[in-house]
Amino acid sequence: MSAASSRVTEPPADILFRLKVRVVPAIREVWQRRELVRTLAERDLRVRYKQAVLGVAWSVLTPLALMVVFTVFFQRVAKVDTGGAQYALFTYLGLLPWTFFSTSVSQGGQSLVVNNQLVNKVYCPREVFPLASMAVAAVDTALATLVLGLLFAVTEFMPKPTTLWVPVLLAVQVAFTFGVTLVLSAVLVFLRDLRHVLPIILQLGLFATPVAYGMDVVTKSLQVPYSILNPLAPVIDGYRRTILLGLAPDWHLLGPAAVAAALWMAVGYVVFKRLEPGFADYA
Amino acid sequence: MRDGEIQASRVWKRFRADRQRQLLRDQLDRVRRRLSGGSNAHGWRWALRDVDMAVGPGESIGLIGPNGSGKTTMLRMLAKVMYPYAGRVAVGGRVGALIDVRAGIHPDLTGAENVYLYGSLLGVSRREVARKFDEIVAFGELETAIDRQVKFYSSGMHVRLGFAIAAFTEPDVLLVDEVLAVGDAAFQQKCLDRMRAVLAQGTTVVFVSHDLQAVESICERAIWLRDGVVESDGPVREVLGDYRRTVEQAAEILTPAFGLVRVVKSEIRGPGGDTPVSQQPLEVKLVLESPEPLWASMSIGVSEGPATPIFLLGHEAMLPAGQTELRCSIPFLPLPRGRFYLWFGIIESTRDLVPWHPVGQFEVLGPELTPTPRGILRMAPVQVTPTWEVEQR
Repeated sequence: MSAASSRVTEPPADILFRLKVRVVPAIREVWQRRELVRTLAERDLRVRYKQAVLGVAWSVLTPLALMVVFTVFFQRVAKVDTGGAQYALFTYLGLLPWTFFSTSVSQGGQSLVVNNQLVNKVYCPREVFPLASMAVAAVDTALATLVLGLLFAVTEFMPKPTTLWVPVLLAVQVAFTFGVTLVLSAVLVFLRDLRHVLPIILQLGLFATPVAYGMDVVTKSLQVPYSILNPLAPVIDGYRRTILLGLAPDWHLLGPAAVAAALWMAVGYVVFKRLEPGFADYA
Repeated sequence: MRDGEIQASRVWKRFRADRQRQLLRDQLDRVRRRLSGGSNAHGWRWALRDVDMAVGPGESIGLIGPNGSGKTTMLRMLAKVMYPYAGRVAVGGRVGALIDVRAGIHPDLTGAENVYLYGSLLGVSRREVARKFDEIVAFGELETAIDRQVKFYSSGMHVRLGFAIAAFTEPDVLLVDEVLAVGDAAFQQKCLDRMRAVLAQGTTVVFVSHDLQAVESICERAIWLRDGVVESDGPVREVLGDYRRTVEQAAEILTPAFGLVRVVKSEIRGPGGDTPVSQQPLEVKLVLESPEPLWASMSIGVSEGPATPIFLLGHEAMLPAGQTELRCSIPFLPLPRGRFYLWFGIIESTRDLVPWHPVGQFEVLGPELTPTPRGILRMAPVQVTPTWEVEQR
């Protein structure tokens, strides 16, 4: 003991550890471990449905219930301009991306904290945890999209040919969601309080996003800054325009939103990697 | 860097000492202290200080040391789970880490589902797991339980499942942290056999354990960490010998503060009053002091490591008030060359007249003990002289 404590008590500054972030090898590693993302997502799905009587139906029930609520209240109370489309379809198309975003962010945000046992004891690229949560959210969204098909059949609505724009909109939506999820999951490890604030923020986010209403509620001159702050808004607007109305996406809004989403993803990744060395110490 | 090689140089690692206190008040306090020019070293505890560790491919290293000496932290850094505060850690090739094998296992999933989950956590593809599935199940002796949810497993089954999966991942470097502690004797032996097989394939093994016999049976080299610093690094027998000695010395400082009867003096003598010799007579002489006449059930033990005796000698006798001399002779000392400790106690069901504690140490001269083959646990060193006959039939 005496021999040990009489030695140097601080490491010399020149050997302090710095994690070198090399983006391409890091992405390649995540790609190599894509099977793990799948297995973790599968684990979460299995565990979720093992305990629930209604099982998979829950993936669909949440957006469906909100749709019914919105249809009953907003359609009656506030006359929303849907551009001639059925309000139920109009709001459901907003709910799909929103639900994907909010489940990804709330589950993915907590993924490192919830999986602390693994973060602490097993090596794997840490990105797999938020990615797996997003994969679970994607499965939910896919199931809910099947219901959309059902809604189309019931309302006898035929999606317009401009629906082909959907992959572009989807890319912006996923990029933004991924960026936000990455930042939150990393920050949450160190700031656990966020865990309690997050549901409130998401609740507010539902109303700050044109889910129940349309893009036209926002003043024309504010639509661009609004789209940059909330890239989901022009994405949702885009889904409605392309699928329901047969119009192309509004590029004046979607363009800036796409740039913002890409920035979120880049910054999110940097933040995540910067904080990564501390995950196991705090988890 | 070759596969299976480990190079760690000047590794430092620290943790927050006050983990629970993450309240805003404490954070503000910390910020204030830093702003007022105070050192930010406050509230941090060094887990490792300037640790060097160089291991070649195929070597087997035991990491030993008391609780909190930094063994597991070191292992976690080798596993890339943690990052050092300063220094460099590099490991070549695929790393397999058994750090708490229960961590990767989800209680709500069945054993079979967990095999796939943990397998892919450890970086094994589904196809590979599927190929080895039967082997894994057989190794863990879980044939009847594999379709049951893991929350209904016993803790032994839990560990067996984890170890079985991890044992079949075929890494270049295998890091093992105290997995043998749970599981029955037969399974422990199985784990040791598996580690030996892995070593025979040329895998590097780093083994953390408090079970010194297990370390000795697996490792050729040992590194002793003490308070986050490497105390010694060398051939396993030497390092373990040094380690046992210190543990023992620390025990000796604690002369019992309670106990009605006092040990005044102890003497250990071999033939002719000299140093004890292997397979020769030995005499132990103890002087006891009792305040009152007592009927005492006494035990003498000889140990190599802490508290666990190699053999015990018991005797019941009347102790009169005042001092008594107790002599115990062994006609044939069954110990090999080495350093041993004499323990003594008068233990009763209701109270300890003399608590079990070391009363002396002694050297034994004689032949070196036969080395054990790797993977076999020898509980205690006993010198036995055999006669061998090898005859063709």
